[in-house]
Amino acid sequence: MGHTLQILILGLCLGGVYALMACGLSLVFGVMRIVNLAHPSLIIAGAFISYWCFTLFGIDPILSLPISAAILFVIGLILYKLVFEKEARSAKYSEMTVLLTFAVAMVVDGALGAMFSNTQRVTSPDYATDAFFFGTIFLPKGQLYAGLISIAIIIGLVAFLRYTRLGYAIRATSQNRAAAELLGVNVNFVSLISFGIGVGLAGAAGSLVSFVFSFFPAKHWEWIAILMSLVVLGGMGSVQGTVIGAFLLAVISAFVGAYAGATWSTMTFFVALFVILLVRPQGLFGEKPEHV
Amino acid sequence: MSELLRVSGVVAGYGSGPAILNGSDLTVEPGKIHCIIGPNGAGKSTLLKAIVGILKPREGEVVFEGERLNGMRPDQVLRRGIAFVPQERALFPKMSVRENLRMGGFVLDDRVELQRRIDEVLERFPVLKERADQLAGTMSGGQQQTLSMARAMLLRPKIVMLDEPSLGLAPKIVQDMFDIMKMLRDEGATILLVEQNAMMGLKNSDWGVVLDLGRTLFEGPAKEILSDPRIQELYLGGRSSAAA
Repeated sequence: MGHTLQILILGLCLGGVYALMACGLSLVFGVMRIVNLAHPSLIIAGAFISYWCFTLFGIDPILSLPISAAILFVIGLILYKLVFEKEARSAKYSEMTVLLTFAVAMVVDGALGAMFSNTQRVTSPDYATDAFFFGTIFLPKGQLYAGLISIAIIIGLVAFLRYTRLGYAIRATSQNRAAAELLGVNVNFVSLISFGIGVGLAGAAGSLVSFVFSFFPAKHWEWIAILMSLVVLGGMGSVQGTVIGAFLLAVISAFVGAYAGATWSTMTFFVALFVILLVRPQGLFGEKPEHV
Repeated sequence: MSELLRVSGVVAGYGSGPAILNGSDLTVEPGKIHCIIGPNGAGKSTLLKAIVGILKPREGEVVFEGERLNGMRPDQVLRRGIAFVPQERALFPKMSVRENLRMGGFVLDDRVELQRRIDEVLERFPVLKERADQLAGTMSGGQQQTLSMARAMLLRPKIVMLDEPSLGLAPKIVQDMFDIMKMLRDEGATILLVEQNAMMGLKNSDWGVVLDLGRTLFEGPAKEILSDPRIQELYLGGRSSAAA
């Protein structure tokens, strides 16, 4: 019982981090139909910002999270303006964005590799290797803090989307772009800001990832498959679905890792991706592509 | 005849493709229901899109209350008082009825006024009030169409344009839609609709416009159009069905 509870707790903590890593990807797809393959490479860029803030200035990665998010937000705005805006009205936009974001991922990977080499790194604040103990159960502080902060950021994001005027505009644009435009929403501005927010969330996730996982520039190739499986399971474009998908798969993979060995843990995500695409391609909370 | 909207000699089409409208004319009077009829491909929906700014007229002009609308974006046209409900209803399926209504007043800066108008619309349409927190995508076709029309009314537009409001609805529900339009007309709204079910549309309208091959063939009181033998033969399925 205690062992099962322990695995569940670890899975839930990681689920929070995965959710934050993936919800920016989901938001960007939902609003702009951009399949952002560069998302994990931008998470790694965020991780490097926190890493260097900690290494050079001693700034805790949790405190440097806003810095990382803000820098990545601006990078997101620039990227959207330079790479995606001109193609936004193209009939093959989604397909083109796969190639474009793949190219962006290569550039980010190459730039980070050239600057910092492909050495494994991890930010090491004291709590990253500490834990709370409750009898036989332990709670790693780093994973717990990362999970809780991720959940807090996601709650903030959902509240922003649900209760603010810009949030309404973002949700409306993601559900029916033409209708939103007819009602006076500046969909180009909404797309720009949404992309910025999505990439900003990658920056925030990167700060947390920097002390939960070891990372290096080429690590994003491993993460993209994991993140895509979370987003596809939840339903492409559904932030809430992505969050639930992240918790579900993180817990399942924790159990698989504990009982079948760590090698099989990652397989959980790929198997889930195959199964969901075969059985319910729209995901758990997505809808078939049709408008009202 | 007083005019609210005038369309003169409009030529328009999609992208660089051939023109769908080849010199369409239209006059909209305040406080009436106007129905545009015509065969498939006549340019009925295209005409509404050209008025609302989704398509840019290549020639001709669209004048609303003395102001030329040519070249304006849809939101600019909306702010001037022309609301448009497209064929596919254009709702936000994962938003509730209340949230859809809120989007209808997106251009309103006064939040208190917006809330007041949402409450007012919900009072006027009990079927929506009962479902205020229901997701739009889970409602029936008739309820969705009612929501589209209610949402269009939120900004108190001077003209509401409806593209095929009866599409995909059961006959009983279609009559309910027309009854709502008449109610709105009686409250002072002006309605311009495109209707594939020409007979039904004209019977419930004050003014009719016959469009074919992108040109306006005839404009006049709906009753006159209904009783015109030539129009009956060509566009209303023959004399017997028109009389029915």
